[in-house]
Amino acid sequence: MRLAGAWVIAGFLAAVGLTAIAAPETRNVLVLYSNGRLLPANVEGDRGLRETIRTSADRPVMVFDEFLDMPRFGGQAYARTIATYLREKYASRPPDVIVAGGQDALAFLLGQRTELFPRVPVVHMSVFRWFVRSNSPLPADVIGVPIELDFSSTIEQALRWHPQARHLLLVTGTTPIDRELEAQLRRDVARFKDRTTAEFLAGLPTGAVLKRLGDLEGNAVVFTPGYFRDGEGRSFTPREAVEAMAAAAHAPVYAPFNTFIGAGIVGGYMPSFAQMGRQAGQTVNALLDGAAPGSLGLPEIMPTTLNVDWRQVRRWDIDEQAIPGDAVVHFRAPTFWEDHWKEATLAATAFLLQTGLIAGLLVERRRRRLAELAEQKQRFELAHASRLAIAGELTGSIAHEINQPLGAILSNTDAADLLLESGADRRDELRRILADIRRDDLRASEVIRHLRTLLAKHPVERKRFALDDAVSDMEPMLRAEAGRRGVTLVIRPATTAVALVGDRIQIQQVLISLVLNAMDAVAGLPEDRRKVVVSVANVVRGVAITVRDRGHGIAPEHLPKLFDSFFSTKREGMGLGLSIARTLVEAHGGRIWAENGPGEGAVFHVELPAASATRPVAGGV
Amino acid sequence: MSTAPLIHVVDDDESFRTALLRLLDAAGFEARGYASAGDFLMHPAPDRPGCVLLDVRMPGPSGLELQTALQRQGLALPVIFLTGYADVDSSVRAMKAGAVDFLAKPVERDTLLDALRRALARDALQRTARDEADRLRARFASLTSREREVFDRIVAGKPNKDIAEELGIAERTVKAQRAQVMAKLEVGSAAELGRLAEQLRHLSDG
Repeated sequence: MRLAGAWVIAGFLAAVGLTAIAAPETRNVLVLYSNGRLLPANVEGDRGLRETIRTSADRPVMVFDEFLDMPRFGGQAYARTIATYLREKYASRPPDVIVAGGQDALAFLLGQRTELFPRVPVVHMSVFRWFVRSNSPLPADVIGVPIELDFSSTIEQALRWHPQARHLLLVTGTTPIDRELEAQLRRDVARFKDRTTAEFLAGLPTGAVLKRLGDLEGNAVVFTPGYFRDGEGRSFTPREAVEAMAAAAHAPVYAPFNTFIGAGIVGGYMPSFAQMGRQAGQTVNALLDGAAPGSLGLPEIMPTTLNVDWRQVRRWDIDEQAIPGDAVVHFRAPTFWEDHWKEATLAATAFLLQTGLIAGLLVERRRRRLAELAEQKQRFELAHASRLAIAGELTGSIAHEINQPLGAILSNTDAADLLLESGADRRDELRRILADIRRDDLRASEVIRHLRTLLAKHPVERKRFALDDAVSDMEPMLRAEAGRRGVTLVIRPATTAVALVGDRIQIQQVLISLVLNAMDAVAGLPEDRRKVVVSVANVVRGVAITVRDRGHGIAPEHLPKLFDSFFSTKREGMGLGLSIARTLVEAHGGRIWAENGPGEGAVFHVELPAASATRPVAGGV
Repeated sequence: MSTAPLIHVVDDDESFRTALLRLLDAAGFEARGYASAGDFLMHPAPDRPGCVLLDVRMPGPSGLELQTALQRQGLALPVIFLTGYADVDSSVRAMKAGAVDFLAKPVERDTLLDALRRALARDALQRTARDEADRLRARFASLTSREREVFDRIVAGKPNKDIAEELGIAERTVKAQRAQVMAKLEVGSAAELGRLAEQLRHLSDG
């Protein structure tokens, strides 16, 4: 038991030991900025720093930020208070590396180092080289890449871009750093005294500065590093100060910090704060990885690059060709291609594919439409040809229908002639004769009109029409034909009027085809079987036309082919009448079929949708 | 022959019928209209000279059918067909059936009246022939049965002697009866008698 317990405890301890080894210690990085949290330089630097400091499961890193908020706060007492605060705050999370963002932060750390985290290496960033030089030698574990503001290159560039400029305005502030920058500026500007006059607006109230800038004429160039405090003691971030100046100035404004880009300055040779952050981050990584501070071989100085604001380039009419190729151009609305080449390529490809598809579909649609039109035209021609054929078949009846009134007219005129010759006063009779002549004349022209309507190549109509009228229009001709053939024709109209939508002529054509077909069926049969009955009846969704004959009926094997083109059992038949009838009926949304009657003969049925229940006539023929 | 002719117009087209009746009236003819073949048959024509103007195409029995019916009933009035559309088929049929003419509407007055005159002439001719035949039949009917026996044998060309022998009578009696037959039939010679016999045979066949 005891032995077992000892084993358990040993195992437990081993486990704890293993756990301790397995969980790597979190490394803390304290970043101390000279100024406020929102200073653009700090924001950019912080971004570069954080995206570079590597943290992982086997070497977790936590980054803490502190802001000294200088120059709004300052002095020995403040420094001591902050030092105490930081020491106590970070007692439980002692930093492994400290980053000094800006020379005030570096100065603070150097000043408080004995009290605050001695032996913790310090990496500085955004610190001017003159500061490093004036504090050298720095302790061996205080390292970093300093920056140097290249005022001369910027001014040189400005004068190149504005060759007519004869006046250089230089604006600085009143804090120690402002004064330091002013001093450097005064040294650098001396180089340009042959070409320009230099005017320093140093430590003036902001109002005075802005007024002066607003009064400038065309031949001036402004250069300013901005300022933290003006001649009245008002605090600014340098960017705010520059923004106000750029807005007021009647001259292009140049500056040495890339954080001012977008505030209205044209540009200048600038170190990049983001780049400073990244440089510091790399140094932090090396130190956390155990490198000795002195072994890192850091660059002498942060590089500067020419930055320009494209909008200002345009505003001040700077020659585009004079912008060096390595300059970083901001706010140039990137060409669509530069900005979105991937999306653009994708979209263009999609567009092309789509266009191709659409084009293909359109071509296909057009092809189909043309085919449809051709087919429609063909059907139309065929329907018309069929009507002509019908007319041919009806020639006798048509002639009869026309000659009947013509005969009456001629006989009437002859009679009138004779009456006049007789010399007797037969005026009443003559008047009756004239009335009859007029009536017969109209009758003849009516026949011709019907015929014309039937035979004309009229465009397909889609109109509402009364079926009964359409049938009764055809009745005289059908009756004449029935008479000629010795066939009894019975027409039974619908009990209530039916309106159809479609082409009246085509429906008449269908009717005539069916009646002629029925008459053919009874030809040569005894008189009592030479009978054709046409009836029109209302059905639920429309109207049913039935044509019944007393012929021999349809042979069962012919029933399925009856409405096919070129199917005919008649010696002279083309086999088109019924096929066209079906085409026409279907174009009206109806159907046609045939069956053998209950007794003898065949029955042809046509069902057409009534106008109210009709969809628009499809296709058309 | 002294009675004026009566023209029958059978046409279902009232307008045409009226016009035609007017024309005939103005031309001095007496005419009567019928709307159909049935209508015409229902109103038997008085036995007067005349003709029928007949529309080929009518509801019910057609003009051609009426023509056939008329002939069958022995109402042998000459027929002029009128048609709105003169197709070959029906005109041939009509002419074969003895139509006087087959006229297409609209028909010229002169053409119509000309046809009408020919029809009436034919009617007159037919009537004369018919009257003659009637008279002939009446004369023949006046023969006694013995005289008919003698007539048959004379026509057959037999001499009196043979006839007397066949009938078992005296030759002299045969002579007397031959004279009687020729007197009753109003002929002067045996040859004439033979022609008459031919006519009679024709009539009885017809």
